[in-house]
Amino acid sequence: MRTSRSTTPMVIACYAVLLVGSALAVFPYLLVILTAFKGPGQLFSTLPWEPGVPPSVDAFDRLFAAGFGRYLANTVMVTVAITVIQLVCSVMAAYAFARIRFPGREALFWVYLSTLMVPPVVTMIPLYLIMQRLGLIDSWAALILPTALGSPYAIFLLRQFFRSIPVELEDAARIDGAGRFRVLLSIVLPLSRPILITVATLAVVGSWNSLLWPLIITSSQNKRVLSVGIALFKGEIGVDYNALMAGSLVALLPLLIVFVFCQRFIVRSVAVTGLR
Amino acid sequence: MSRPRRERASGWGNTAFGMALIAPSLIGVVAFLLAPVVLVLGLSLFDWRLLARPEFIGLANYQDAFGDPTVGHSLLVTVLYVVISVPGTTVLSLLFALLVNRQLPGMHLARALLIIPWMATPVALGLVWSWIFDPARGSINVALDLIGIDGPAWLSDPRLALPSVAAVHIWQFAGYNMLFFLAGLQNVPLSLREASALDGASSVRHFFSITLPLLRPTMLFVLITNVIGSFQAFDTIFVMTEGGPGNSTEVITYLIYHKAFRSFDFGYAATLSVILFVIILLVTLVQFSYFERRANYEMH
Repeated sequence: MRTSRSTTPMVIACYAVLLVGSALAVFPYLLVILTAFKGPGQLFSTLPWEPGVPPSVDAFDRLFAAGFGRYLANTVMVTVAITVIQLVCSVMAAYAFARIRFPGREALFWVYLSTLMVPPVVTMIPLYLIMQRLGLIDSWAALILPTALGSPYAIFLLRQFFRSIPVELEDAARIDGAGRFRVLLSIVLPLSRPILITVATLAVVGSWNSLLWPLIITSSQNKRVLSVGIALFKGEIGVDYNALMAGSLVALLPLLIVFVFCQRFIVRSVAVTGLR
Repeated sequence: MSRPRRERASGWGNTAFGMALIAPSLIGVVAFLLAPVVLVLGLSLFDWRLLARPEFIGLANYQDAFGDPTVGHSLLVTVLYVVISVPGTTVLSLLFALLVNRQLPGMHLARALLIIPWMATPVALGLVWSWIFDPARGSINVALDLIGIDGPAWLSDPRLALPSVAAVHIWQFAGYNMLFFLAGLQNVPLSLREASALDGASSVRHFFSITLPLLRPTMLFVLITNVIGSFQAFDTIFVMTEGGPGNSTEVITYLIYHKAFRSFDFGYAATLSVILFVIILLVTLVQFSYFERRANYEMH
């Protein structure tokens, strides 16, 4: 039995590597929580990975006194707006690309796909000048519009999924007298729940994390989003690690919650795209 | 009443309905993706500053860029960043995938924990890692101190800043890319997979001669997406080093941002972003043709 003899050390090595890897993946999150709940004195009296006793919410007081509540509300608002509008627009386009035959459809779809190659940095400057021409600098519209009207990547994922739904199901409903829009709403969408969750998650993560566009397009503090608030924080309040970690926690925690609920959909979506 | 057609037939009603469904996203694609690509090419031919009148100057911006040592340096920094972060991410993610793929208890948990960093807000991450790298009170140097080593100033040493920032990229994306390799490994036929129970030497040889060639499409996908992403690194660098110390972490995206929105030299910044776009396209093409040639070579 040479296999069983030689696999035992392999199994131990395997667990050791994964244990170290997982610990490294999680450690920064623990550090954020530990640091955010320390008082200013505790930062220097404890080791970084020790908890502050008693825990202190001092850092959060300073954070929200500096206007962080507003940034958080702005980010939630912008993220919800982008996700909802993007989902609706993407579903509409993807359904047309998957099911409705019209001249030029395939060519148009290739145009959509080709835009996936364009790095955001390249479009950033002309986009800024377009917004300037439209008088939309420092506006909610400028913050939301560029990513809200449907994402080619989401449209691609949704189209692939819609095409896998048996067309007979839709035909049956049509024969029963349902309109095309009804078919989309009551047959196609309920069957597409996994991919809808995947696409929504990607939209949430993308807009929640986005820095460069909000950084250049907004200037007033009442339109500032969380990522920009955090990026400029160091310059505004100095190297106050308690408050900086409290701010990071506010940014990291909601996505962590999303992750816990949507993990399997994300994994599945990667399996779908990665296999191609 | 079975219909042979898979899709609804063409017709005026269909065309109108289809176009109506596509219209919002088409406006978005044209106005916010295609038009900017055309405009950026045009912009790069102008001397276009904030308050001055735009002036057509032909290829002068490109001439300036090719002779500009700042641009050369920042491209070098970008390439170094890519050269550290992409192989690091790829090797680590492949290793994780091979391990997690073994049918052992606890692997689902390990997989979940490893992908958590992917979702993290890069700006927040930048702050967290600045704190971990802090020379006096940061976790790394405190830990090194416990075993009697005097840790360096990671982010303010010009030689260490770039590798440190690239390490954060590896940390964030190794787990995520593991998922692609995992998906690729599912495609390896079971009969070939069973051989992974062989002992050390032959299992290593088995990996290089059988598993790795079968993973080539996944490898290409992972390399291309990571190279494209790394060439555009910005967020963590913006927070951690602001391109410094000196200009040791001034990647090209940071320079473009700086030229456009700090110096308001839009024409020149547009030129730099066109150059970046061309570089990314060329590197992607080279990767494609390399993998294609390898595939052909092995078939003969």
